[in-house]
Amino acid sequence: MDLDFTRAEQDFRAEVRDWLTAHSPGTLPSMDTRAGFEAHRAWEELLAGARLSAVSWPPEYGGRGASLTEWLIFEEEYWAAGAPGRVTQNGIFLLAPTLMRFGTEEQRRRWLPGMAQAREVWAQAWSEPEAGSDLAALTSRAERVDGGWLLHGQKTWSSRAVYASHGFGLFRTSGTRHKGLTYFLFPLDEVAVRPIAQLDGLPGFAELFFDGVFVPDSMVLGEVGEGWRVAMATTSSERGLTLRSPGRFLATADRLVRLARDADPVLADRAARCWIDAEAYRLHTFATARRIETGEEIGSASSMGKVFWSELDVRMHTLAMDLLGDRAAETPWFDGFLFSLAGPIYAGTNEIQRNIIAERVLGLPR
Amino acid sequence: MNFAFTDDQLALASTVRDVLRAHCPPSALRTERLPAWDRLAEVGFFAMLVPSENDGLGLRLIDALPALEESGRACLPGPVVETAVAAPYLLEGAPKLASGAVRVAVLPPGQTYTPDADLADLLVVARGHRLHVLPREAVRLTPRPGTDPCRRLFEVSFTHAMEAAVATAAAVPALRRATVATAAQLIGVARELLAVSVAHARTRTQFGTPIGSFQAVKHQLANVAVAIEFAAPLVHRAALSVDAADDLPEETAQAAGAVDGRDRDVSAAKAAAGEAAVLAARTALQVHGAIGYTEELDLRFWLARAWSLSDAYGSTAAHRARLRAAVLDGPPRRYP
Repeated sequence: MDLDFTRAEQDFRAEVRDWLTAHSPGTLPSMDTRAGFEAHRAWEELLAGARLSAVSWPPEYGGRGASLTEWLIFEEEYWAAGAPGRVTQNGIFLLAPTLMRFGTEEQRRRWLPGMAQAREVWAQAWSEPEAGSDLAALTSRAERVDGGWLLHGQKTWSSRAVYASHGFGLFRTSGTRHKGLTYFLFPLDEVAVRPIAQLDGLPGFAELFFDGVFVPDSMVLGEVGEGWRVAMATTSSERGLTLRSPGRFLATADRLVRLARDADPVLADRAARCWIDAEAYRLHTFATARRIETGEEIGSASSMGKVFWSELDVRMHTLAMDLLGDRAAETPWFDGFLFSLAGPIYAGTNEIQRNIIAERVLGLPR
Repeated sequence: MNFAFTDDQLALASTVRDVLRAHCPPSALRTERLPAWDRLAEVGFFAMLVPSENDGLGLRLIDALPALEESGRACLPGPVVETAVAAPYLLEGAPKLASGAVRVAVLPPGQTYTPDADLADLLVVARGHRLHVLPREAVRLTPRPGTDPCRRLFEVSFTHAMEAAVATAAAVPALRRATVATAAQLIGVARELLAVSVAHARTRTQFGTPIGSFQAVKHQLANVAVAIEFAAPLVHRAALSVDAADDLPEETAQAAGAVDGRDRDVSAAKAAAGEAAVLAARTALQVHGAIGYTEELDLRFWLARAWSLSDAYGSTAAHRARLRAAVLDGPPRRYP
């Protein structure tokens, strides 16, 4: 066991740090406003110009073929530099791993470069009004027509959908429950989008209404009827690694310990615990990345990471609220606090994750 | 970066585990003070960290970590960490350490009572700013109540130190290692508590179904699994930091920032491992119900070990305070 970075990894870190120091715009207006969305998109274009928007992708799609370890290094530097949140998150970190694994070469060439350059911004469309934690209960469907499909139904809590150009999600093409679902990509311009204001008052997600939206066969990802398997195959990367890398929590924990510098011992103790947990998540994630790089499947164990980082984020921001008192809302900590509260809900609620841990990792009866 | 233990490290742990299964079963905790100690000595457990020129195996702390975790998992009684981990550094060159023939008890700075003092041949006692090394015959021991029936506490009194006292600062490398080793034992204790709780939840039936099928039970056990999963890498990190900084002369290490990082990593490991073990104990008791609240069930030994070790070599709160000081005094960024 050794936890040293290679010369190449250290050089990569230095390059990323130098570039971010020179170019990071710091905090931008919220990406859930028209102007803020555009500012975030422009920042992503700049990032892509330095081939830093999706470093782990192969060069032909806009990346630099970096290892997962190097991607984690990139993330540490990105969040330590105080760079903006990633408006491309859903595409680069949720859809792209699925495209890499299940897409055709034609699909990868069509969609990945535009995603890396933020010319196209993607929204996720999993949940429906009656299908949240029980995603297999979804009723949106796709109807076979000549050369493609007509999408019908309703999706909700669709992050980024208000200003994004495209979406992805599951639609029923036959069968019941997990069988007969198909993974579709779709343009948002023919979908009726109803913005939904979140706790901060801004439309971070939306409801989507499909009234026979046509998509060609080329926008089916993976085999027809195999959508559940296609979607789930990459949820472990979502929960376990790519959705929330340690970098953002390390940066938050470092700021928090300094925010609590002169705090009373009880609050200071909470800050130290958060710092330790962020470090634990960091070490655990590097270990997981190394396991994935050597061909291991992390599977259900990824649920442990999701529970851990989401609750750490809530604890950190709750402590910041306690430290700041009535000054909280004039600082970025308040937006961070609201956002942290979503963590235990999205990407599979923590209740679902704990069921997975108990049943599939510990072997408790269903 | 490589997070895997080597085959040698795992083989050592496997040997120790086999010895402990055979010679330190839960029933032995009720009848023996030092079960399996002779057998552990035979397989080199007490020689692990003794330099090879003193007949030891000359291993680094990271090499011994999985084996130390096993000693926690088995709830092995006696001054294990003190003899196997602290003594080779506190009593460098002392004879018979590697063979396990000399047992050592330690009163670290900040603690009042010495655990397992009556089982020791040599005692290392912090008093004021001095560290006294005393043979068992030179001290008077007064038993004190403790939380752990297999880790008895004693007040140590003595009039004349037989050996020259040294400054407590000289004990820092040994105490750092003992702290990490204790953290590794706590991980082992927590793993065993989780395992027996899961086993109980799978077999104990109420309302016509195993209680482990209820989400209220599942989620508590999942929380324990998460706590252990994320505490363990901190303990590995701490062992590596201690080993790495020891390769450098003290001045060079300080210049490289390794010293701050080392104390920070040791405290992170101890705090997280202690917290995970205490959560595992609390949850184990709740999942077992009333039978867990008895002397009759062996669970009590692991509950007590979680409590006693979480306070040994600095409480969770003390280590968090130390970590916070190290972070605030350290460089603004955590990675070079």
